[in-house]
Amino acid sequence: MTARGHVKVEKVAKLHGQVAALKGVDFDIRPGEFFALLGPSGSGKSTTLRLLAGLDKPTRGRILFDGKDVTALDAQHRDVAMVFQSYALYPHMTVRQNIAFPLEMAKTPKTEMAERVEDAARKVSIQHLLDRRPGQLSGGQQQRCALARAIVRRSGLFLLDEPLSNLDAKLRLETRAELKKLQRSLGVTAVYVTHDQEEALTLADRMAVFMEGEIRQIGSPAEVFARPNSIDIAGFIGSPPMNLMKARLDNGTPVLAGRPLPLRVKQQAGEIVVGVRPSAITIGEEGMPARVDLVENLGDNAIFDLSFDGGLVRARGPDPLAFAEGQQVAISFDAKDIHLFDAASGHRLEAA
Amino acid sequence: MKTLRSLAISLAVLVFIIAWVFPILWSVLNSFKTEQDILAYPPKFFFEPTLAAYREVLFGSQSILPNVWSSFVISIGTTVLTMILAIPAAYALARLRVPGKRGAGFYILATQMLPPVGIIIPYFLVLRNIGWMDTYQGIIIIYLSFSLPFAIWLMVSYFEDIPFEMEEAAAVDGAGRLTTLWRIIIPQVKGGIAVTVVFVFLNAWNEFLFAVVLSGNTVRPVTIAMFNFVSVEQTLWAQLAAVSVIAMLPVVVLGVIAQQHIVKGLTVGAVKGGGRR
Repeated sequence: MTARGHVKVEKVAKLHGQVAALKGVDFDIRPGEFFALLGPSGSGKSTTLRLLAGLDKPTRGRILFDGKDVTALDAQHRDVAMVFQSYALYPHMTVRQNIAFPLEMAKTPKTEMAERVEDAARKVSIQHLLDRRPGQLSGGQQQRCALARAIVRRSGLFLLDEPLSNLDAKLRLETRAELKKLQRSLGVTAVYVTHDQEEALTLADRMAVFMEGEIRQIGSPAEVFARPNSIDIAGFIGSPPMNLMKARLDNGTPVLAGRPLPLRVKQQAGEIVVGVRPSAITIGEEGMPARVDLVENLGDNAIFDLSFDGGLVRARGPDPLAFAEGQQVAISFDAKDIHLFDAASGHRLEAA
Repeated sequence: MKTLRSLAISLAVLVFIIAWVFPILWSVLNSFKTEQDILAYPPKFFFEPTLAAYREVLFGSQSILPNVWSSFVISIGTTVLTMILAIPAAYALARLRVPGKRGAGFYILATQMLPPVGIIIPYFLVLRNIGWMDTYQGIIIIYLSFSLPFAIWLMVSYFEDIPFEMEEAAAVDGAGRLTTLWRIIIPQVKGGIAVTVVFVFLNAWNEFLFAVVLSGNTVRPVTIAMFNFVSVEQTLWAQLAAVSVIAMLPVVVLGVIAQQHIVKGLTVGAVKGGGRR
């Protein structure tokens, strides 16, 4: 008996009339994994989650849970737990009745039901609120209630649709950490939809980056961050985003603003894009001359907007007071921190 | 200036209340008077109350009890049938992508604008041909043709207020469509149902025009039976007043009961948006 919560999605596409919301995606989620679906709005990530929940049916392709084909199964019979962005709590029921509802639908015996409701409420620390109605709870408490309603199922698969987006910034950070702990302790598979790359990076074991109805890259947050496979991903992951500068190839050597960079690629010539993360840029005495346009003081670090003859770049430095606006400096970066992309196709070019 | 204005408003309200309450007060007072007291001039506000008129209209030779019963059967029948049909219909109109949904909405409103006298003769002919004149089913089905579109129209907006995610959550929780409707949706539109029930019931209870044409001696609602007390020779004012008070009673009772429900319904409505905060 293998662990529960294995999800396999095969060539799944969803068309709304002639418009493709999802152009055909493949992925595999391992049991117990925290898997994020990350992408801008309209990229197909929510569509994918709805297909997993059974709220919509795919136009093409198959969905398998623990090896069983559930493609044609209605939401009602899929036995997955879901937390909605709006929480979708039932306003006419108490918190206790809300949490008990899925158990009631599964015809759980009364005594067991009461125990499991208490247990689920305790796990999210709302046991003192069980007799209130959703309307009498704060936003954070409502979110916990929605979580408890999902936990109580003891389903192997958790679907979360931007569950933190309705919380204020401070609460969001706290809940984020708790969510991760909760998922670990329950040992469930979680599929988490978000447009916030920071959430995906901090929470996910692996993530799928969605764009225009396709998955552009799947991997651990570290992998995707370290080796984005296209210009779009490079520009989407990371805050502030990666600096992308136009350059060209000369006999396999990238040339940026007239200067050859210390690395080579197989391709001999053509237009390329050079990418460097703001944190990889060193501001100092050596390198390309640049001018500090703007300093964004973030307290314990700062973001410097710089202009040089190759364009504009942003750099992250530890000391906000190190450089003043208008100062002439020089910028440099290591060969290992350089990402190269083909300008026409957007694909990553590997250093030879 | 401000006090003058509020004084004017108070005065206007007072006039309105007097104008509104006066006919009711007149009926209630006269129902407890003797015929002599009623005809006395100047009108008596202090008199020895008697239940004679009530005794006569309830237990006398021309008892209106069968008519009250008829009114109840017609009103309850109309209300129950209307709600059984209107709730699923309104839910479907609010939720499903039915072709011609907008057209349906207009059609429903249009039926409310039709002057009843314009269709009363065709209705009469139809009922006569199928032998449903002077029957409960005949009157109820005619009332249904007005109350149903109205009830659907009223209920749709209540259903539309419930976020669709609520139903999706119920589906994920393992509830089927009917369970979702019964356990999740209906409880949230209770207020709307109460309001609709009151309107439909009262419309049926108070209806006069169709009843006068389509009813007969077997099925004769109170609104029509009142004329038993008006004849060429004389008008029995006290008995007429007693009947009208009796006819008003269910309206008042229903109003009081419904008021609580409507208020409750509004509280549910206030909580409803809670999930989306």
